[in-house]
Amino acid sequence: MLARTALRASTLRSISRQTTKRAASSSSNASKEQSPRMLNIAGTAATVAAVGSVSLYYQQYGFGNTVYAGTPAEEGLHAPHFPWVHNEWLKTFDHAALRRGFQVYREVCASCHSLSRVPWRALVGVTHTVDEVKAMAEEHEYDDEPNDVGDIEKRAGKLSDPIPSPYANDNAARAANQGALPPDLSLIVKGRHGGCDYIFALLTGYPDEPPAGTKLPEGLNFNPYFPGTGIAMARVLYDGVVEYEDGTPATTSQMAKDVVEFLNWAAEPEHDQRKKMGMKVLAVTSVLLALSIWVKRYKWAPLKTRKIVYTPPKH
Amino acid sequence: MAATTLRNTIPRALRSASAPLHHPSVTAAATQVRYNTQSATDARSPFAQAGSHRTTKIPDFSKYRGGSTSGNKVFQYFMVGTMGALTAAGSKALVQDFLVNMSASADVLAMAKIEVDLSAIPEGKNIILKWRGKPVFIRHRTAAEIEEANAVKIESLRDPQTDADRVKKPEWLVMLGICTHLGCVPIGEAGDFGGWFCPCHGSHYDISGRIRRGPAPLNLEIPEYEFPEEGRLVIG
Amino acid sequence: MTITNSIYNVLFRRNYVFVGAVFASAFAFEMGFDTISDKVWDNLNKGRQWKDIRHRYVEEE
Repeated sequence: MLARTALRASTLRSISRQTTKRAASSSSNASKEQSPRMLNIAGTAATVAAVGSVSLYYQQYGFGNTVYAGTPAEEGLHAPHFPWVHNEWLKTFDHAALRRGFQVYREVCASCHSLSRVPWRALVGVTHTVDEVKAMAEEHEYDDEPNDVGDIEKRAGKLSDPIPSPYANDNAARAANQGALPPDLSLIVKGRHGGCDYIFALLTGYPDEPPAGTKLPEGLNFNPYFPGTGIAMARVLYDGVVEYEDGTPATTSQMAKDVVEFLNWAAEPEHDQRKKMGMKVLAVTSVLLALSIWVKRYKWAPLKTRKIVYTPPKH
Repeated sequence: MAATTLRNTIPRALRSASAPLHHPSVTAAATQVRYNTQSATDARSPFAQAGSHRTTKIPDFSKYRGGSTSGNKVFQYFMVGTMGALTAAGSKALVQDFLVNMSASADVLAMAKIEVDLSAIPEGKNIILKWRGKPVFIRHRTAAEIEEANAVKIESLRDPQTDADRVKKPEWLVMLGICTHLGCVPIGEAGDFGGWFCPCHGSHYDISGRIRRGPAPLNLEIPEYEFPEEGRLVIG
Repeated sequence: MTITNSIYNVLFRRNYVFVGAVFASAFAFEMGFDTISDKVWDNLNKGRQWKDIRHRYVEEE
């Protein structure tokens, strides 16, 4: 409080000193100049107050330390950071990996998890050709529009249809999974803390045996990365559970990596375009910034080098 | 601002005999020195001798002036112009992106086209499809029907159109199934002209979908369509 | 000297010419910039994009 008052007083005084120096008329109140010692004291006091309050805050709360209410087991183990290439600034998704990841989703995940926000057409030109996607869509049946007598018939899927869900609705999904709802995977990478890292760690983090002493309710599996450690989903990715058409060895981690990258694409289909646009925008705006700095200096140079001088007339 | 107020005070200061010694009079240095002499014609200019005992040293700016004047000018215009060009390109891209954003989205466009397998439609049969919420009539016309459609005198029609104007391939007639009168859906293979008949107000259309009798003012509308390959039709 | 003078006289002396040149070069810049940044982008992401793997799945042509 004291320091702040002192600071305010000194700033006011220094401003007034500056103005009196600058002003052409010299008969103003510049006579009572503050001694530099007082200013030094005020500045020191202000610094001490600032440093003191910051260190008090640091002592009490710390910087960037998250405080967890639960134990690590309750919160789930924090996923390690994996070097995802597609998370680099100027890298697109690896579309071969997206294609493999879609295969993993289709053959493994899709038996329980829906991907309801991704239509078949979104895969065209990303992982598959038009003909491939059409063939895949036609394997599924969708409700047609009401026919002449108002009945709803089934028709083969089209490109504009969404990827079908394994269950008719959430209740059916719960009933089939002992009350646990398999979440929709369309936005799961955005929707989970840790994103790609978390899902990869979860998929590959099932231990062979739960640690001694863990008690889990019936039907739950132990996974240290899952908050609460008891997860209804069992380990699904085992080496060789799918067979990749491009000959990539289908190890657990390879499949997990591919499907996570695919799910990242599902959550951010604009990813590649966005990064390319970002690159272009940054390139242009950085040049523009340099140019505008030059133009500012150019426009201000005559104003800043101008000098107005008072020469007292001699009578 | 400050300069003008100071300049305005000069004549006043001169006129008042008791002008204090520290009243402002101004020399602008480093830019061209300019005196407001007109308003002070009645008085001796205080600046008359100002030059002789000037205490101000104008710094030497020649170092910053660089090379040739014309070269400087070209460079300066180039810099300003480049900034303008980059800004124009950037704002064009920005505006364009916003406008593109307003156009139909991918899911709408995906629904906007339908594909038809024509091999499933036998000659002389109609099918009705839903396209953008509207019925579309597709008729596989027989040779006799094509002949009949071409035989009509165009001058006698209410909405004169040749059959060739209404089809891309004569055997395939593709039209929107909405009566141009009040929007009912006409019935196929009915009416006095062997085409379509609207049950609401009794409009008769011929085998080319042209209005022949009844209140409807226009022929049945033709949507955008194309045959990408033999036996396939894409509407939209 | 003469070159700079002539550039000045041709391009910058009349404002409408200057502004016109600015907009024309904006379009030229945009085209060139798009081409170059496409190339840079494809180079940075060699083998990662769909167009790089498309040929494996398209049989015809």
